[in-house]
Amino acid sequence: MSDFMQWVVHGVKRGRFELDRRTALYSLALVTVLALIAALYLVLVGQTAARGRHIQQLEAELSRLQRENEQLEVEIAREGSASRLWERAVELGFLPAEQVEFLSLVRESQPTVSNP
Amino acid sequence: MAETLRYRLQFIGLLAAAFTMTLLVQLTRVQVLDHRFYEEWGREQRERLITMADAPRGVIRDRDGYLLAGNGVMYAIEAAPAYVVDKANVAATLGPLLHLPTSQIEQWLHGESLWVPLASPVPKELGEQIAALGLSGISVRPLWTREYPEGSLAAHVLGFCNAEGKGFYGVEGFHDEQLRPKPVTWKGPVDPASEQIPWTVAPVVLPQPGDELILTLDRTVQAIVQEELLRSVNEYRATGGTIIVMDPRTFEILAMASLPDYDPGRYNEFYNRLPLPFEDPATSKQYEPGSTVKVLTMAAALDAGVVTPETTYYDPGWIEVGGVEIRNSSFDGAGERTMADILIHSLNVGAAWLSTRMGARTFYHYLLAFGLGHPTGVDLAGEAAGQLWLPDDYEHWHDSNLGTNAFGQGLAVTPLQMITAVATIANDGVRLRPHIVAKRIAPDGTVYVQRPVVEAQVISPETALMVTEMMEQTVVEGKVATVEGYRIAGKSGTAQIPIPGGYDRNATITSFVGFGPLPDPQLIILVRLDRPATSIWAYDTATPAFQRLASRLFTVLGIPPG
Repeated sequence: MSDFMQWVVHGVKRGRFELDRRTALYSLALVTVLALIAALYLVLVGQTAARGRHIQQLEAELSRLQRENEQLEVEIAREGSASRLWERAVELGFLPAEQVEFLSLVRESQPTVSNP
Repeated sequence: MAETLRYRLQFIGLLAAAFTMTLLVQLTRVQVLDHRFYEEWGREQRERLITMADAPRGVIRDRDGYLLAGNGVMYAIEAAPAYVVDKANVAATLGPLLHLPTSQIEQWLHGESLWVPLASPVPKELGEQIAALGLSGISVRPLWTREYPEGSLAAHVLGFCNAEGKGFYGVEGFHDEQLRPKPVTWKGPVDPASEQIPWTVAPVVLPQPGDELILTLDRTVQAIVQEELLRSVNEYRATGGTIIVMDPRTFEILAMASLPDYDPGRYNEFYNRLPLPFEDPATSKQYEPGSTVKVLTMAAALDAGVVTPETTYYDPGWIEVGGVEIRNSSFDGAGERTMADILIHSLNVGAAWLSTRMGARTFYHYLLAFGLGHPTGVDLAGEAAGQLWLPDDYEHWHDSNLGTNAFGQGLAVTPLQMITAVATIANDGVRLRPHIVAKRIAPDGTVYVQRPVVEAQVISPETALMVTEMMEQTVVEGKVATVEGYRIAGKSGTAQIPIPGGYDRNATITSFVGFGPLPDPQLIILVRLDRPATSIWAYDTATPAFQRLASRLFTVLGIPPG
C-alpha cells in the first residue's frame, strides 16, 4: 500500500459485517422480486420480438399475395378482353345483330271486381 | 491524532463532494441541457428509415368494372458480391438464365461494389425461378409494371405509365397524383446490415395503393367505335380520324377513339413514329370544323331573336363581309330560302347572313358560351383550347371573320369542343362539362362520385328544340345518316385545310355530328375523318360512317326508337 493510501485509511477501522436473520430475509425477497421482474421483462421483450417478426412475415406474405392478385386480375382481363371475346364469338359462329325488333308491351290494367 | 484524522476525513469528504458535484453537473448537462442532441444521436445509431414494399398503382376500369389498366409483376435481379459465396458457380448458373456472359457476371461479383444490378426487369416466371434457386447474395426484388389487358383499346383516353410509375397523357397523365400509390416510410430499429429487426412491433401501416378510377367509358361501345373508325379510315382511305360518343344528358364520354393509335403497354416501341401518336387528337388536335358550326350560328340567331324558323332570306349565291366575298360551296345562288334550308343545304351565304344580322358582339357571345375558344375542362391531360379570334383582338381578327366563322372557317376547335357544343343543343341548351371519370375509389373505400357540372345555359330549351327540328330535317333530307325507325338530328361538315397562303384545294377534313333518338336523345356521336381520298365530301365519308355506327350502337345498347 502506498504512503498516501496508508495516510488515507489510517484511522479507519474495519467493521464487522453482521447479518441478522430479518435483514437476510428482506434481502432475499428483494433479490427474488428483482429476478422475477427481470425474467418477466425478458419474456415480454422476447414475445414482442417474436410478434414483430411474425408481422414482418405477414406483411411480406401480404405483399406477395397482393402481387399475385394483381397479376391474376390482369391475366383474367386479358383472357376476357373485347378483342378476345370477339374472336371467340366468331369462332363459335355468332354474328352481329342487325335487324332488331323492339316490341312494345302494354301493361293490361288490373281486372276490376264488381259486385253484382 | 484526532485532529489529523478529522483533516483526513474532511479531505476525503471534499474529494467525494467534488466528484459528486462533477457528476451532477455532467448529468444535468447530458440529461437536461443537451438531452435532445443525445436522444437524436442515439436514435440515429439504432434506427433507419425503412420503406415498406411498394403498393400498386391504382387501377382503371370502365363503367361496368372491366379492367382497362392494371398492374403486373416483374423482377429485378441484384447481387451483393460480399455475400456471394461461390462466385464462379453463381455466375455459371445465372449467365444462361439472364442471357448474360458468365465472365461478365463473374467480373461484377469480384468487383468492389457493395451492390450490383444484374438484370431488370425480368419476366415473372424467370424471377421466381431464380428466387427458387436460393443463391446466397443474390436478391430477387419484385417490381410493378403497368399492364393494359385490352391492348390498344382506348389507348388515347388512358395514356400510359412509364417504368418509374409516372403517368403521361390521357387519364394516366391527368389523374397521376390520385393513381400513384402512397409510399409508407417509418423509422425503426435495424441491424448492422440495415435490415429491420423485430425488436418492436412494426406499426401496422401498410403502403396504400393508388386510387381506383371508374371511367364513364363503355368497353363494348369503345370496341365498336374503334372497329368502325378503322373500317372508315380504310374504306375512305383517310390518313386518320376521330370518333367520340357521349351521353348528351350527362356529357359522360362513352367512347373516344382516334387513329393512328398505339398500344400503351408497349409505348416504347412507338417513339420512332413521327408524329408521335401519344397525344389524343380528340382533345388536342385542332381543326377548322366547317359546316357543323352552322348549327351553332343558327342556334345563336334564333336564341337572340334575330330570326325565327319562319324567316326567309334571298340567297344570290354570294355575300360580301368585311371586303371578302363569301360563296356557297356549289357556287350557285339558292334564291328565296328558309332558315331550315341553311342547314339542309349547308348554305355558307345563309350562315354569313345570320352572323352579320346578329353582329359580332352577339355572335361571339354565343360561340364562347357554346365553349369554343377555351378548353372544355375535361379530365384528360393535354387538352387544347381551340382558336377563336375575337373582335377586340386587332392583330388577328378581321371584319371578314364574322362571315367565315359563321360556317366554320377561320376558327379551330377540337373534336371534343365540337361535340360538347352540339350536345348543348341536345341537352335543352344546357352545357355541362364533359368528363371521363365517373367515380374515384380511395384505398379506404371512400367513393367520390363525379356529378355533372353545369357550365352554362347557352340557349333556351325552346331554341334548342327549334334547332333540333332543323337538324332532324337535315338528316331526313340528306338521307345518308338516317337509321330506320329512329329520329336523328345531325349536321355534316366538309372543311378545307388551311395551308400557308390559303387552303389546300385537294384535301378536306370531313365530319358529322348527330344525336338521337329524338325526342330524348341518349347518344351523340361525332365522326371526323382526315383527308379522305375516295371523296372530299362529308356525305360520302363521315356521314355513312356515322350512320353505320349509330345503327350498331342503338342495337347494342338496346335503345328503342323514340
